[in-house]
Amino acid sequence: MAAISPQPTFEGDIFSAQLVHTDSNLLACAEPDYKPFIPGNSLRRMTRVLKMGLTAALKCSQESGITTPGPIVTGTGKGSLQDTEKFIKEIVEYKETALNPTPFIQSTYNSVNGLIALQQKCTAYNNTFVHRGFSFENALLDSMMLLQEGATHTLTGAFEEITKEHFYIKSRIGFWKDQPTDSRELYRHLSPGSIAGEGATFFTLTGTPTPQSYAAISDFRMLYKPTGNKLTIALRAFTEAPDLIITGRNGDSNFEHYYQELDQCFPGIPQLPFKHLCGEYDTAGAFGLWLAARILKAQQIPAAWFPGIGHLPTPVHSILFYNHFYGEQHVMLKLEKV
Amino acid sequence: MAERVFITGIGMITAIGDNVAGNLRNLRLQHSGLGYSSYIDTVYKNVLPVAEVKHASDSLFALAGMPAKEGYTRTTLLGLAAMREALQDAGITDIQSAPTGFINASTVGGMCDTEKLYFDIIDPGKTGSFLQYIDTLDCADCTQRIADTVGFSEHIATISTACSSSANALMFGARMIKQGMLPRMVCGGTEALTRFTLNGFNSLKNVDKQFCRPFDQQRTGLNLGEGAAYLVLESETFARANNSRILAELSGYCNTNEAFHPTSPSPDGDGAYEAMKTALEMSGHSLEEVSYINVHGTATLNNDVSEGKALERLFGDKVPLFSSTKPFTGHTLAAAGAIEAIYSILAIQHGLIFPNLNFSERMEELTISPVTTLMEGYPVNHVISNSFGFGGNNASLVISKYEG
Repeated sequence: MAAISPQPTFEGDIFSAQLVHTDSNLLACAEPDYKPFIPGNSLRRMTRVLKMGLTAALKCSQESGITTPGPIVTGTGKGSLQDTEKFIKEIVEYKETALNPTPFIQSTYNSVNGLIALQQKCTAYNNTFVHRGFSFENALLDSMMLLQEGATHTLTGAFEEITKEHFYIKSRIGFWKDQPTDSRELYRHLSPGSIAGEGATFFTLTGTPTPQSYAAISDFRMLYKPTGNKLTIALRAFTEAPDLIITGRNGDSNFEHYYQELDQCFPGIPQLPFKHLCGEYDTAGAFGLWLAARILKAQQIPAAWFPGIGHLPTPVHSILFYNHFYGEQHVMLKLEKV
Repeated sequence: MAERVFITGIGMITAIGDNVAGNLRNLRLQHSGLGYSSYIDTVYKNVLPVAEVKHASDSLFALAGMPAKEGYTRTTLLGLAAMREALQDAGITDIQSAPTGFINASTVGGMCDTEKLYFDIIDPGKTGSFLQYIDTLDCADCTQRIADTVGFSEHIATISTACSSSANALMFGARMIKQGMLPRMVCGGTEALTRFTLNGFNSLKNVDKQFCRPFDQQRTGLNLGEGAAYLVLESETFARANNSRILAELSGYCNTNEAFHPTSPSPDGDGAYEAMKTALEMSGHSLEEVSYINVHGTATLNNDVSEGKALERLFGDKVPLFSSTKPFTGHTLAAAGAIEAIYSILAIQHGLIFPNLNFSERMEELTISPVTTLMEGYPVNHVISNSFGFGGNNASLVISKYEG
């Protein structure tokens, strides 16, 4: 696994890491040094989310120790916003003449996948899903099908960036809180909107456990625009009481009621929300899954990230992960200790 | 044994027809949809030919079967028009009658409308009903509006792998059926012409000022097109129990990556070769059994060399009849795979081989050339349909005659 996020997740020990916070309503990624991963001449042409996506993918492959590349499946809600915005503007600025094609090429949603395949010389299956809060989740489903079909492993991930311009655009339709909100206090400020975020997260998935495995995904369900009642029925049918719940709660009063359904389904089970760490974005679920898998393997929680939570109920054998994106795409995953 | 996957309904809209029958008529008449744009706001309006659907967005609402409403982009409306026909063709009056998934494909979502409003959207001084279009830029917008309008509530997804997007949507849906996740899936893609993509391909010097000439020595690039197409896929068990009318079988498919270059295919067509070979192996049919290949055939310098080389490598001196239908429809990007899958079915149903328009001179790199005249009464049993895209994404589908 590898994650580039607003927290120091790319290198170092997350269990002793400090909590990065903001009151700007936008949690931006702590970008790593890309030079060990991407040759300098390529690096100069690449925009931010391409660098983040490619680097997280390469680090993930390195960490897994798997040398034969396999299928590459990703999800992204918005792809390279920076390139899309740039090309839209250059079309006007240069009156549609003598345009540099690079932003157009890089704005293509599957450009990160193409770069990963190119750098790894990987000719296997390659797919990119672009469906808001189901982008990463469909990539995960696709990967699980590939493993069923006989692939030994997949490289599966998600990447997203937020630009100043897109932050403003989404503010016009109520995505973010009106008032500057301390990200540490996110869950106490229940009001319309959340805080923005971004990240690139990759996983190596295998059909059978290895000594390096972090966790097993034992069940998985997506629900599109369910009613509260349908969600409750699905949650109850999904799992018995887990040891721990990781949730996508984000302080948005418009959609908080779905998380309340979750509370009612599983009273008394400790919950860890993760959006104060990464912000809200289409593929934040990938970061949440990464965190759940880290906790499950280490049997501890990053203390500074969850002040006041205290200790885990040990041992943690199972985690229920539940997230939704602005009430439309709902995801539940069950993780078990390997 | 995994389920066989049958095609039980088709629907489409392109520059040569508002439905499948209209497309078939113009394919037979050899009427191209290429011309100059009436609707894109571009300096290339009268310079670069495109294959545009001959309706203003306002009049597409009727074809989409809904009253005019803010927030519905041309991408969504084209998609809805094709979706309505596909469902009707499959005899589906209520999607909820069986669990049904929807896998859509798009390359630039609602860019066709947002590019006209973008500077208002980012201007704090401007406000108005254009704000209804803010969230239509991404690719999921059209998928969800189509899903919500016709009533999909099970699995939904949107795929974006450039020009192979809807071929991958069909593949993903077929695999979900084979894994027993859902008995019925509707898969395809929708694409509206935009100034964004036109300038994108033009900046790559990939657009022909004349009507495109696939596999021709003098070809200089592609023409863009727009349209949408959806196919209803059903598991064999479901199709039999439901007494569905089976149009054809999706018997093989392959997705592979070339890992060669971000936008160019390899000169020897490694990816195209691998995709066709593996898809055909999956179908269980031999090279000799392939009656027709609906090639990707964009008429760019690189694609046609690469794809042509792959055909020669795979089939040796027995390359089947092949043609590119892009001179009819333009290159419809995310919709191309699904549109051409439907053309493959029409070839099987009606015993037709479609001509590769605008061809006159064989490429110097190749020993093969495409079919140039309409062939009727030709037995077509197995068709390979190719879709290759940016990022090295290659996809091939094998569509077979239903023999019971």
